[in-house]
Amino acid sequence: MAARLRGPGMTRAFLGTLIAIAFSYVVIIIMRTWYDLNPVVDGFAVLELSLFLAPIGFLIGLGAFDYWFYWAAGKKTVADDHSSHGAHSWRDYFKVNTDHKVIGIQYVVTSFFFFFVGGLFAMLMRAELAQPGRQFVDPNTFNGLFSVHASLLIFLFIIPVFAGLANYVLPLMIGAPDMAFPRLNALSFWMLPLAGIMMLMSFGAPGGSFASGWTAYAPLSVTAPEGQVFFTIGVQFAGASSIATALNFLATIITMRAPGMSFFRMPLLVWANFSTSLLVVIATPFIAVSQFMVFFDRSLGFNFFNPGGAGDVLMYQHIFWFYSHPAVYIMMLPGFGIISEILAVKSRKPIFGYRMMAFSLLAIVVLGFTVWAHHMFVSGMQDWIRVPMMITTAIIAVPTGIKIFSWLATLWRGVLHLDTPMLFALGFLTMFTLGGISGVVLAIIPVTIHVSDTYFIVAHIHYVLFGGSLLTIFAGVYYWFPKMTGRMYDERLGKLHFWTTFIFFNATFAPMHVIGVQGMPRRVADFAEQWAGWNLAISIMSFFLGLSALIFAYNMIASWRGGPRAESNPWRALTLEWLVTSPPPIFNFDAIPTVVGGPYEYGVPGAVHGVLKGGAEVPQPAGATASGAGSGRGAPSAAKDEE
Amino acid sequence: MEAGSISAGVALDHHDDDHGHHHGPPMANRSSRVSHEILGMLLFIISEIMVFGAFFTAYFFIRLVAEGHRWFPFEGYELPVAVAGMNTAILVSSSLTMHWAQSSIKNGNRFGLKAGMVLTSLLGLTFLFIQINEYIHIGFSPQDHAQGTIFYGLTGLHGAHVFVGLTLLVMVTVRAFRGHFSPEHHHGVEVPGIYWHFVDVMWIVVYTAIYIV
Repeated sequence: MAARLRGPGMTRAFLGTLIAIAFSYVVIIIMRTWYDLNPVVDGFAVLELSLFLAPIGFLIGLGAFDYWFYWAAGKKTVADDHSSHGAHSWRDYFKVNTDHKVIGIQYVVTSFFFFFVGGLFAMLMRAELAQPGRQFVDPNTFNGLFSVHASLLIFLFIIPVFAGLANYVLPLMIGAPDMAFPRLNALSFWMLPLAGIMMLMSFGAPGGSFASGWTAYAPLSVTAPEGQVFFTIGVQFAGASSIATALNFLATIITMRAPGMSFFRMPLLVWANFSTSLLVVIATPFIAVSQFMVFFDRSLGFNFFNPGGAGDVLMYQHIFWFYSHPAVYIMMLPGFGIISEILAVKSRKPIFGYRMMAFSLLAIVVLGFTVWAHHMFVSGMQDWIRVPMMITTAIIAVPTGIKIFSWLATLWRGVLHLDTPMLFALGFLTMFTLGGISGVVLAIIPVTIHVSDTYFIVAHIHYVLFGGSLLTIFAGVYYWFPKMTGRMYDERLGKLHFWTTFIFFNATFAPMHVIGVQGMPRRVADFAEQWAGWNLAISIMSFFLGLSALIFAYNMIASWRGGPRAESNPWRALTLEWLVTSPPPIFNFDAIPTVVGGPYEYGVPGAVHGVLKGGAEVPQPAGATASGAGSGRGAPSAAKDEE
Repeated sequence: MEAGSISAGVALDHHDDDHGHHHGPPMANRSSRVSHEILGMLLFIISEIMVFGAFFTAYFFIRLVAEGHRWFPFEGYELPVAVAGMNTAILVSSSLTMHWAQSSIKNGNRFGLKAGMVLTSLLGLTFLFIQINEYIHIGFSPQDHAQGTIFYGLTGLHGAHVFVGLTLLVMVTVRAFRGHFSPEHHHGVEVPGIYWHFVDVMWIVVYTAIYIV
């Protein structure tokens, strides 16, 4: 027991958490005695300090900082210590692991856990909204449900699941043995479940969970009950995690590409994560600061948003949306990357307009910072900001349009393989276009004024985040499932999952456009009699949509346990991750591959993207688990037999 | 420039000798002249600049946009411009000593490294001490008005960065006295050094915005 408490791991992590809480107690007692405050122990103060310190205590106990502590103390450290690299049993997934492949799976599994929790909250909300009047939950709980639903799905699902997928495949794609900062990578993962657990714990707070929406507008969030701080502080950890991952991606992409892989030979997924990481590094500090200001205002009586003390309430929205508008691209650009991979592979054609695809990503990064106030058309801000924001918002549809048309041109006369990843990619293409168009409609000021805070907004955001981001996530998970697990998923269940998702998604969210234009307000637990029919239909459809996610869950679990073994390159793709076995050997490559051509030369006779040392043959890596996968077809011959 | 921690070929050779077949990761290709440690710190500094940017946004709104906006001096509240100016000089000179420490180790001058690090740490500590002293005597609190909030917000945020920078400097100093670092391997001095220079430059911006303009 004593050894377990000394060594890094879960036992020491829980001990660290307890020590941190005790420490918070002591600090609060000392501070309040110092300032002559009564009573000396203030429960809320202890709670708030604990929310900051307990996760740090947990991380220290888990061993996320061990190496740096050794370094700081001036001890000899081995920079290339690989003792915590790779997973040999399921227990290794509950440790601080420096292998990007293990971290990728940790990320994806954790975020899908929060996906199902967040989805469950949506089901509860739809149950409440099935009829006018009060059914199951009181209005305050309802507010809590939609707030936690949005926060979990944004901060704990969409953003990290993309980081997880990229964590797994990006170093492989650029021919790197790992990420640039493996220990930082492990730390960024472990901050994530803590943030999620914190947000869920808010349901136990006096006054219920945080209920001011995922936007947490001041002054509502400043005066809200204690549950709000679980969001305020939880976001800090999720944000720190995402900044650390982003700078890790950038450093990896810039300094660790394989020889021959110039920027314009990178797969578009790498480009997409490059752009996303830029957005994260630049924008995410703004939400961290906005929540810190809320924290200072509510807990220490500062005056950032207090008009009585010459503060400015609207300032909150400016700071918040300066992050949260770029954040919608953080939630979309990696998906663009996934779709570019899948469409080219599955239509056996080079991607259309590769350079424009890359440049349009960068254009979105730049323009993404110029549109934040279109979320504030009805906020009462200065009138002159409105029209410029409307124009920039319309302009940002241009690079997005370039991408849509390039994807369509990629499909044109391609040999389409309509399997599950491709179906999800095509589903994304149609649904995201619809969501994008309602976005352009919303850019028009008079329209926004009419439909602001109605179900039209709910429909729009779900068309871009569900029909857009989530479909790309499903596409990506199916596409890389063989690589990540070494098993094939069940194609029939995959197709069933796609069609049920696609149909019930539309059945759920399309009618919301109608009731939105008619004026049904969002974020309210009750509604007028006239929308009873629509809402009942939407609720029933949403339950079927919820059930369709269970098909996915079953398919993933069953295929991971007992699916047929995957070959190294089941999709006959060219990018480097398919040159190694499924799953890849512990250090990815025996020798770094050399890149000799573009990544999307499908159907071009004799085209090669990358070669491993000693020709294009796939090596037999030591310790590979997939039997016979090593003899998978070489990429160039696969490309040749297509035409 | 030294080999990055990921790509240390030394470890690779070592494993080969010991175990024959088993070997560590292949040496990553270096696709940029900048090492990933330096690049990582520069990217982190971009993030830090945006943290300050968010606080400067608040400063902008409170000073120029909010209803009842005004700035020091008002109603008898004054900022000690001269004391803070002296403090600025202290922090700027600590950047010079930091630079001395960095260039010393590059030339193999261990005394210069140690003396430079000790001096830099002491100057940083003096800065923090004077800053705290200023808080004690300034005569208003962040709870009084938004001007006080943003004054404490910006200087406090910067103070927190000085504290973090100092912690790094102390670590480097400890390692310097234990004989770490060499003309070939001095990223451990260089990366915290970049951060310290950033903290200094940021103070000049904060000082200008709060005390002078």
